[in-house]
Parts: sequence; C-alpha cells; structure tokens
Amino acid sequence: MAEPTLAEKLEILADGAKYDVSCASSGSSRKGKGGIGNAAQCGICHSWTADGRCVSLLKILLTNVCIYDCAYCVNRRSNDIRRVMLTPAEVAELTIGFYRRNAIEGLFLSTGVIRNPDYTMELLIEATRQLREEYRFNGYIHVKVVPGADLALVERLGRHADRVSINMELPSRESLALLAPDKSRESIVGPMKRVGELIVQTREERKVSRKMPPFAPAGQSTQLIVGASGETDLQIISLAAGLYGRLSLKRVYYSAFISVNRDERLPAVVGTPPLAREHRLYQADWLMRYYGFAAGELLDEERPNLDLSLDPKAGWALRNLHLFPVEVNRADYEALLRVPGIGVRSAQRIVLARRGSHLSLDDLPRLGVVMKRARYFITARGRFAADLTPDAAGLRLRLTEKPLRRERWSQPSLFDGGAGMDIRSTITGEL
Amino acid sequence: MILRYDGTFAGFLTAVALARERGVEPEAIIDQQPEQQALFAAVEEVATDRQRAAAFYGLLRRTLTPGALHTFRLAFRAAEPGKELLLFHFLQLGVVVGQQLDGMLAHERVVPVWKLARAVGREAHRYKGLVRFQHLDGDIWYAAIEPEHRILPLVAPHFADRFADQRWIIHDPRRGEAIIFDPSRRTWTDAELEVTGPLQLSNGERLFRDLWQRYFDRLAIEERRNPELQRQHLPLKHRRHLPEFDR
Repeated sequence: MAEPTLAEKLEILADGAKYDVSCASSGSSRKGKGGIGNAAQCGICHSWTADGRCVSLLKILLTNVCIYDCAYCVNRRSNDIRRVMLTPAEVAELTIGFYRRNAIEGLFLSTGVIRNPDYTMELLIEATRQLREEYRFNGYIHVKVVPGADLALVERLGRHADRVSINMELPSRESLALLAPDKSRESIVGPMKRVGELIVQTREERKVSRKMPPFAPAGQSTQLIVGASGETDLQIISLAAGLYGRLSLKRVYYSAFISVNRDERLPAVVGTPPLAREHRLYQADWLMRYYGFAAGELLDEERPNLDLSLDPKAGWALRNLHLFPVEVNRADYEALLRVPGIGVRSAQRIVLARRGSHLSLDDLPRLGVVMKRARYFITARGRFAADLTPDAAGLRLRLTEKPLRRERWSQPSLFDGGAGMDIRSTITGEL
Repeated sequence: MILRYDGTFAGFLTAVALARERGVEPEAIIDQQPEQQALFAAVEEVATDRQRAAAFYGLLRRTLTPGALHTFRLAFRAAEPGKELLLFHFLQLGVVVGQQLDGMLAHERVVPVWKLARAVGREAHRYKGLVRFQHLDGDIWYAAIEPEHRILPLVAPHFADRFADQRWIIHDPRRGEAIIFDPSRRTWTDAELEVTGPLQLSNGERLFRDLWQRYFDRLAIEERRNPELQRQHLPLKHRRHLPEFDR
C-alpha cells in the first residue's frame, strides 16, 4: 500500500477520534503573550457538523494503532482497518494551520496505544511540547492520558495542557473486565488521582509564585458510555457524583453507545443510539453541579432510572409538591433554583430585581422564567398563576414533553456554565 | 423635533446632549434621510462635536455602573430602526436614577435596550467563532463576515489578542466597513473597504482549505445525523463565508 498522504491520515485519524464526546474549550483563560493565540474563558464554537454537534477543537488521534482490544472500540486490535500515524510535528503543523484561520480553538489529542502506554505518552508530550515551546502556541490543548502510564509522564504532559482526561468508559469494574480486558480500574483511577493532586498542588503553588508552570488549569474530565453495559442511571450518576466530589473532576461526559463492532459481549443494537437517556443524564448531571441536587434526590433504589418523558427537575418537584408553591419575592436563591422553569440565570435575576421592586407575575417572563413550567410551582405577591391547584397526576401530564420527531432535545451546554451546546457520543476510538 | 446625526457613537452622544440641553424630547433621532420628509417636523442636522460628546460620556461614566454603560454601548451597535429613541429614554432614566438602574431589569425603559444589548452581545460572541481567515498572497489574512449588527469593533480586541502576529483584515462587505490590524504596531484601524475581483489565495491556503473540508466531513456521526439541530445552532445566513459550506 502506498504511503498515506497527510490528507488521508487526517481523515482516518479524525474518524477514529470523533466518537469522543469532549469538545469544550472553556475553563482556561490565557492572554496572548507573545507567540500565537489565547484561550477564552467561556469557550467558542467554530462550526456545527451535520449531526448538530459543535466543532471547537481539532479532534484527532495521533495514531489509530492500538495494542488493546476493547469490545466497543473502532480501533481495537482485532479490527482489520488501515492503521496510520501522524508525527508529533505533523500534529503541531495541522493545529497551527487551522488555528491561524480561526477554524478551531485548539487541539484535542487522543490516541490508540502504540507499543506500550509510556511510549505513547512520550509522543503526546512531544506533540504538545512543540506547540507550546516551538510555536509558542497559547491556544487550548486537551490531551488524553493513557491508562497505566508512568505518573512522572502524566505530570510532564499536564504541564502543556489546559485540560487532561482519562476515559473511564464503563461505569463498573465488572463491565470494564468484560468489555475492556486490557485496562484495569486501577490503571485509570491511579493517573486520575495523580492528576487531581497535581491540579490542586499547582494551583496553590501558583498563588505563591506565578513562575510555577500551570498544570491542566481547565481541570480534568472523563467519559462514560451509556447503554453498552447493564448499569442503571442511579449507578451512573452516583459514580459521577463521586468523581466530582472525591476526585474533583471538572466534567463527566455521557455518551450514548453506538455499535461499531459485532461482538457477543455487547448488547444487540436496534434503531438509534439511546440519545434520550444520554440527554436526561446530562440534565441530572447539571442539577448536581449547578442546582445543589444530590444523586439520591433524583433517583433511588425504588426508581433507579431516569424518566425519559420528564426532565429530572420536574420529576423531583412532582414528588415533593409539599414544598411548593414558593413565593418569588421571599424564597431564597436555593429554593428558587429548584423550581421547574427557573434556571441559574433567572434565579439570579429574580434575586437582583426584587431588591428594586416587588415582583409581579408579569415581571417573571422578562426575567427569563419559563412560565409554561414554573406557573404550577410559584406565587408572586401571593398570586398563583396556574389555573389549577397542583396535583401530581394532572401536573405530570402537563409537564410531560412529547418527543417530537426524532430527538429534538436542546442539549446541555458544553461550556461549563456558559452558553453553547454540545452533545455527542462515543464509541471512542481510544482510551 | 427630529435630530439627524452621522451614525457614529460620538454623533449620537452629541445629539442626546443637545436634546437634553434644550429640555425637549425628540420625536426621532435618525442617521439617514427620513423617507417621508413631508410628514415630519423639520429635521435638524446635528454636527458631531467630539468635545461635547466626551463631556456627556463623562457624565454617563460618573452616574451609571460599568454594566449599564456596557449595555448602552452594545445596544447602540444593534441594527434596529428606532433604537436611538429607546437609548435616549434609557439614558434619561439612567441619569436620574444612577446606579439604581441595574436593579430595574423589568422597567419598560430598560427591557428593550437590555434585549438589544443581549442580541448584539450574543452575535459578537458567536462571530468570534465564525470569522474565518483566508491566507492571501502577500501574507495577509482576510475574513469576510455579514453579521446582522455592527459588531466589528466589538470583536476586534479578541482577534488583536489572539492573532497579534498576523496582518489581518475583517471585512463586513454589506456595510463596506473593515478593521485592519497591524502587527508591528499591535493596533487596528477602521477602514472603508470594497473588494473587487477574486482574492489571490496563497498556496498554503488551498492545501488547508482542502484539509479542513475533509476533516469537517469526517466529523459528523452518521447515527446521530440531525440537520435540523445543525440549523438551530448555525442558521444558513451565517454559513455564507465558511469554507466547510462553500464547495
């Protein structure tokens, strides 16, 4: 076979990386300080593909060669596909070429495992080093840590990155053993812990001296495949809560399982990937991160899976009608946040606006409250907006979302707390 | 009284200061010829007076919060007929209530201005991603955009910081306006610009254009295909100058 051209390699390696969901380019702020580029705190989308996902970073694999044989992965060893590799210099050159045209915010670099985890890590370090040191590139870099890599290499890599991630992919030890026999939970959690320590430690050191080089200032993230194994939503969001709490991850991504391999260990896939479930998980995740909900409030052993026809916040409100209605002129911020139809922004605006005036029902839509949902749960100046006293059964019907055609969910924001959207899935061709 | 100004920020401030001095409320403040001259009262031409504008702006800075001032500046950039009168009322209220203005989110003089500012701010942010440079012979990076609002000056600082080592031009061909950045002085200037004839692309440009198009096509996941969602995020009107949609 002829030597592949740069364009062919790019196509193959973009194909192998596209199932990784992470595409946020937020959470890092760097002024252009000589050299080229900067990083915007809020993240920027540059385009949207035919599946409606945003394009923010050049998302590629360094190589799709892989010594592992994970059941769900397109690049697994046992698949007969064309294998190519970019040199670290080519990765840097492509990144800069696209960046100068303002087509991307930066680089998302993942890879198959070539030879062994440490050798692979050295290549990732070299690609990111060239960008930072030779091109003096200040744009965004998100790079994957290879499970099982030497912790000293993890540290070197993180010094060049804004964000690092290690994909867990499977929510339990059992599923991991079944579907990713070459990876152990320890080989994933070990580097995760080390990254967490270094992030905290570096942040402290940089308070004392700005000379200390940063370490993954935009934090670390991971990804879980939804629907390739038997875990319940409760297991998944409890795991996420643990990752946010104990390992202080910045972001957990969920990815509806897409079947790319025929494998008797995997569920038979009928129709489209479980996008509705993925969407509800993102909503639940959001509620835990920004709305003060605990995993146990959204789901329990009785009901271990999210309701696909109702958003989790409305579901929670229906089970807790005794807490409603709340009076918008008096309720504290935390209580406002828990009203369906009131979001972080509108709750903040209510708190601000009621200092200046006594709010009436008419003021609320202007503050961004979605009355269609909120009306059943609030009063303003003691007045109730809905035409019925809420009873769970009647309300449920009114709050149920009819799935329009296929999947028309507006998706969870891809920016940590900003605007913009992203949703996607993975069967990642990678770690 | 109808005041006609030259469309500039300083011109508008001059017009507002003038109306305030006379203590009259204008029926309209416009920046072009009124269409039905006969129906209107006499149109008074306002000559832009930079000193007067600066003095009035100083007053605004002393009375309004930075947030309210920012809202005003954004809203002024909106392509909205009649925005001048909305802004006039907003400023009149602001000069009286000062810092209180921030808490009056639901006030009828605040709501429309706040909405305009939000629309302009959103579009400016969006275009930080949608400006797409082409590398031309002579080492110039050129981008054309056709935004709804006049956002060139709002995105300039972002690109000046990001591409401080490139000679770049961002052009709004519908309005004939451009900002031109000079990396040796690290500053940009406003210019009137019209491009006649085809652009002379560099060799590298052709290569990267091809690479980008191939990359973009590979990125979509077939099982999740959803052109409607794509249109929601990226309406057709914004695609005109993006190479991935121009084949």
